[in-house]
Amino acid sequence: MTTLYVLDVPENTAVPKVAAEDPAVTVDRVGPYFAISAPGTIVVDRRATGCRHAVWYSCVAGLGGARIIQHDKDALRVEPA
Amino acid sequence: MEHLVRGVDHAAFPTFDPAATVRFYRDVLGFPVVHSICAAGWGREQHPDFIHFFFDIGGGDRIAFFYYFGLEPVHDQPQGDAYAGFGADVPGWFVDSRHLAVHVDSEEHLMEYRRRLDASDWPVEMQVQHETIESIYTHDPNGYMVEITRALRPVTPQEDLDAELTIEALVEVASGPEPTLGKLLTRKAELIVERAAAWEEGVRS
Repeated sequence: MTTLYVLDVPENTAVPKVAAEDPAVTVDRVGPYFAISAPGTIVVDRRATGCRHAVWYSCVAGLGGARIIQHDKDALRVEPA
Repeated sequence: MEHLVRGVDHAAFPTFDPAATVRFYRDVLGFPVVHSICAAGWGREQHPDFIHFFFDIGGGDRIAFFYYFGLEPVHDQPQGDAYAGFGADVPGWFVDSRHLAVHVDSEEHLMEYRRRLDASDWPVEMQVQHETIESIYTHDPNGYMVEITRALRPVTPQEDLDAELTIEALVEVASGPEPTLGKLLTRKAELIVERAAAWEEGVRS
């Protein structure tokens, strides 16, 4: 399972929301973090999140069984490690 | 451990251009001169005559400068500041990572400093919204990067937890071989699973 952790602060809430549009993705809570999980790759479109660049490039809090293969102005792509 | 300190008394820097330094901090930014020390007759060879002067940066805190009479600039590197020079091969972002940030209460106050700087010889070079703050930047007459910033929102308690977990993961990963952000985020995920749920229960109880 690929898991991406994102801290629940106002700027970040669009990230799990956009990620969850993929039916393979589930979003749970671990304390104040969103745990965004999928059996395979997770992709989040930056423009859909509306995140400012500084927010976008600092939104990843942790990676469970996962590695980032793309994190640029277009998208965040996390695949199984 | 008890937290006994009470903020910045003063941060001090050398200057080779005291006139421009006074123009920048006192006349452009409006930071009052609050203290100065004339140190004379200590012997040029051992210790040049110098002036140590202070500006009020609010909240009882001060920024201070040393001007040593007769001392020539100590480097002629293309990058850096009065204190330290860096060769052309050193990235600018690395050079500017050392800076002083002072804070204001509102967007109106941030924009007031933007107006003052833009009308001066040291206009604002960047205005950036970070995660929780918005900042303007310029370099002072000595080449030191100065930031003025305002909070976009208060920092939340969960951000303190997140910082704690980040630093714990950082210390572990940076103490080991070949530290990478990927290793840090993997270790931090383990710490989140171990600690974060309990943190929320603690807040609720």
